[in-house]
Amino acid sequence: MPEETARVGVFVCHCGLNIAGVIDIKALVEYAKTLPYVAFAGDNRYSCADPGQEQIRKEIRENKLNRVVVAACSPRMHEPTFRKCISSEGLNPYYYEMANIREFSSWAHGSMPKEATEKAKDIVRMAVAKAVLLKPLEVIEVPVTNQALVVGGGIAGINAALDLADMGFKVYLVEKSESIGGHMAQLDKTFPTLDCSICIEGPKMVDVNRHPNITIISNADVVRVDGYVGNFKVKVRKNPRYVIAKNCTGCGECRDACPIEYPNEWDMNMGVRRAISVPFEQAIPLIYTINMDYCIECYKCVDACGAREAINFEQRPEEIELDVGAIILATGFDIYMPTDDPLYGYGKYDNVITALEFERLILAAGPTGGKVLRASDGKKPHSVTFIQCVGSRDVNKYEYCSGFCCMYALKDAILLKEKYKDDVEVHLMYIDMRTNFKGYEEFYRRARDLGIDFIRGKASQVLEDQKTKNLYIRAEDMSLGEPIEIESEMVVLCTAAIAKDDSADVARVFGISRGSDGFFMESHPKLKPIDTPTDGIFVAGACQGPKDIPYSVAQGSAAASRAATILSKPKVKIEPIIAVVDQKTCQNTRVKCGICEKVCPYGAAKAPEKQPALVTPAMCHGCGTCVAECPTDAIAQMHFTDAQIMSQIHAALETNPQETILGFLCNWCSYAGADLAGTSRFEYPPNLRPIRVMCSGRVDRDFVLEALRLGAGMVLVAACHLPYDCHYISGNVWMTKRMTALKGMLEKLGMSPERLRIDYVSAAEGVKFAALIKELADQMNALGKDRIMAENAKLKPIIEKMLARKKAEIPVAVAAPAPKS
Amino acid sequence: MPIKELKIDNENELTIQRLLHAKHYELTLTRTLCVGCEICKTICPREAIDVKKQPKQQGQKTQRPIIDVNPQKCTYCGMCEPICPFDAIRVNVNGQHLVSVVEKESFPRLIHEIEVDASKCSLDCVECEKACPLNLIKVALLTPEGKQLPHEKLKTYSDRNDLKVQVNILKEQSPCCRLCEVKCPEGAIHVRKIFHGVLDINVEKCPPNCQDCLDVCPIPSALFLNSDGKVYPNAAFCVFCGACKIVCPADGALVMERRSVYHTPIKSGAWNKAIEKLTSTREYSKESQTKRAAKVQQSIERKSLLKGVENA
Repeated sequence: MPEETARVGVFVCHCGLNIAGVIDIKALVEYAKTLPYVAFAGDNRYSCADPGQEQIRKEIRENKLNRVVVAACSPRMHEPTFRKCISSEGLNPYYYEMANIREFSSWAHGSMPKEATEKAKDIVRMAVAKAVLLKPLEVIEVPVTNQALVVGGGIAGINAALDLADMGFKVYLVEKSESIGGHMAQLDKTFPTLDCSICIEGPKMVDVNRHPNITIISNADVVRVDGYVGNFKVKVRKNPRYVIAKNCTGCGECRDACPIEYPNEWDMNMGVRRAISVPFEQAIPLIYTINMDYCIECYKCVDACGAREAINFEQRPEEIELDVGAIILATGFDIYMPTDDPLYGYGKYDNVITALEFERLILAAGPTGGKVLRASDGKKPHSVTFIQCVGSRDVNKYEYCSGFCCMYALKDAILLKEKYKDDVEVHLMYIDMRTNFKGYEEFYRRARDLGIDFIRGKASQVLEDQKTKNLYIRAEDMSLGEPIEIESEMVVLCTAAIAKDDSADVARVFGISRGSDGFFMESHPKLKPIDTPTDGIFVAGACQGPKDIPYSVAQGSAAASRAATILSKPKVKIEPIIAVVDQKTCQNTRVKCGICEKVCPYGAAKAPEKQPALVTPAMCHGCGTCVAECPTDAIAQMHFTDAQIMSQIHAALETNPQETILGFLCNWCSYAGADLAGTSRFEYPPNLRPIRVMCSGRVDRDFVLEALRLGAGMVLVAACHLPYDCHYISGNVWMTKRMTALKGMLEKLGMSPERLRIDYVSAAEGVKFAALIKELADQMNALGKDRIMAENAKLKPIIEKMLARKKAEIPVAVAAPAPKS
Repeated sequence: MPIKELKIDNENELTIQRLLHAKHYELTLTRTLCVGCEICKTICPREAIDVKKQPKQQGQKTQRPIIDVNPQKCTYCGMCEPICPFDAIRVNVNGQHLVSVVEKESFPRLIHEIEVDASKCSLDCVECEKACPLNLIKVALLTPEGKQLPHEKLKTYSDRNDLKVQVNILKEQSPCCRLCEVKCPEGAIHVRKIFHGVLDINVEKCPPNCQDCLDVCPIPSALFLNSDGKVYPNAAFCVFCGACKIVCPADGALVMERRSVYHTPIKSGAWNKAIEKLTSTREYSKESQTKRAAKVQQSIERKSLLKGVENA
């Protein structure tokens, strides 16, 4: 048996003072030496740095180590680092296990060093127990389709597409609306250069249209994404324009003949467009579209089109499938429309508008031909006030700062002043002036020099004069220290940049997460701002967080480069943490089973009639749901086998099980949320002993039963939020079904209901995780040790009977540690 | 500012508005002209118009149905304005009267063909003015200088032979019931009906003492109360508005179908759909068949023209 020859090396990291400042490193190292199969135990200041890694390699050589445990930070942080490290010394990278004693111990229990050290010892013990049973795994290689998909045709998406296309890759650019260009194309001028926006973006849009490697698929939605990195299959639905793209020359005669007008969203609903029209004159692709909600089917457009015959009322939605190797999401942002805000009167008072509406007024191609006019009387305003931070930096609405509003407010104020000069009085009410990039501070100076009146103080209320429709703005002028009221003929609200309202659907289709502010979540905010936790999918531009144009352009190019690291290689490596069926044990040959096929969301598990089930390795994403659901335990998940997890359970419950909360945390959400609790230093009681699984779907009933049999106080199974957040689509759904049924049964057998807790924590919910553990600890204390032991004693014989059929080896070789003297 | 959709409703007028920052749309229904029929509701492409029966008061005459327009659904296409035989609807854009579907030739106008040969009129005759149920006719006596002479002064006027009769008819508001034509003793008026069709009442199906249809009918001679206490139709004067159909409480008692519409020449898919809704499908397919034949002819001509160009 492999564990007889296991030689484990334990390396405890100081992580500077992050760990060493709380945990007694010496005691921990001494403890590790006492564990079975540990051939070496040592410590290091920074294990991840070169000297630390060098030490690990040295000890592997000198002590002939064949398993390595590093007790340090989160495996989500550095597992790849140390796997690379040991493989460079000739050891299979999957012989590595991480003991997270930073996020889960030193950082979460900073004020309880003794308890933190005890918890760290347990975590190390659990890691060693699993390490002993680890098996070598070989990485799977799959071929790469060297085509890319860019979702979203704004300035970030355009740049990503152009860069990839110039590198030689074929790019599909899918855009939801009728034209590419995004919000940048709606603007008049861009800060700080005051370049005309469409003048600089237009040529890029034309380049995209003309590039032989780029195919624009506009007026289309992505409905489904299957596959994995290097091999995505994307279903796109092209929505009907009722115009045949090949035949349309963009002449516009149909538009001239059309009698119906409707509000133009592109013009912020301030102007109109015809039932058959393009959203704006420089639309790319220049193909007209009929809006069937308004068309009265008079067919005047058909007559006007004549011999070109470009109009087809019979057009239906068309679904196409794209094969791509990498996907870039550049879906952009939306502007907060403050119709629900009672303070500023937007929607109530005619002369209160948002900044994007102002942009469409002052733009020459806008609905008023470039004249800034009041809605109430169509006259030019003699005074305009800009109000900053409407909805942003607001605990009642959006807590974050939207980043570019100070700059665009300055831009709009400067444009207004330069257009109407002394005819207009411009006030700007702000909290802070955030002008922090190249040329931005100088831009602010320019605004001041033009005589724009800056009032430092957030506006608290806007009221209207019924007769003149002028507005009275109340604020506290911080410089004067007094409340003021100014009268203005027009008010422009600089509203927050928010995540697009369909971003939840987009996140679900692509299988990525969103942060608490609604924008797409990157792998790491500092070091991996373009990657998402899903391999092969990248984010660029404002969909990741509000940003200005140069930043979006830079991210577009960055995403192209990241995507190219996959597309430029003929093969990509897939992690071998997959499910494997033991064909002898599978019962599908004897009875009609097929449970694994039913629960697999990727179609990787198939159970053909009368034959043993089979899992296609390249399609398996490694959630482990089939593993937990298999009634005969015929399926094993590599690197997360039943034996390995059972050994962790045993190790966790060796000392004081009645005061232990055994937690099964899923890698993508709840484990990450727990990491965040630690990173944020939210303290919670030290009773938790965590076991990481890739997906909550992996948590077998037998794990919970074994934990109770060994005397556990509480068991927690934490997953991604229902119904859509599971990284593996439905793992959390099956877990909930399974655990709810188990909980009902255990309650009937006499277990207090709070002792098995099923809960949902997302990667952004550090606060919730800490609160959850506190609640569980409080409940456990309320029940009391005696009651828990009594319940466990009653359950034990029943559980032992239920587990008798389990064939997984529960290694007895992991002996209890010698009692401390 | 975001789009504002407003409705202002009172006894005399219903106004709906769509206000954009840079464009204002307004539709006004003059309730004093509206008879509560179903014509505008029938053709509205967005189903924005609703006709509501008024609740019946005991012992009172049945009230005309009330028209309501939904400001969220209306797209101000303007189709309801030309189709209303009573000219009760007005569509304005940015304060100017504008019916875009008529401007762009997507919808025809109804032809109110009413011609008066005033030379046949006798000076003291005001029969047409008395006959018009909607008070659309005013007979005026004009002196050679063009001044108007009130009828009371006629007896005492000296040069009666110099006077001219002028018959002023608000044609646009007339549904062309032809009462004036029939009542004119000199045969001076010629009226061509706008809507032709079928009007019939199966009196055995009428509830006892019911005259709801008679109460709402705008033309008092199209339906009349017979000596047997039941209402009988006179299709000769019926303008086929359909108000009676809305209020009739008995299923199948009242039959009102339009068969044709007198309108300006038009080639429009929207009009085809409107005609289909206003008349029976059989009539629509007849009208569209003639149009289709013309289209096929044009298509052949076009192709042979192109062929000619290719061969040249």
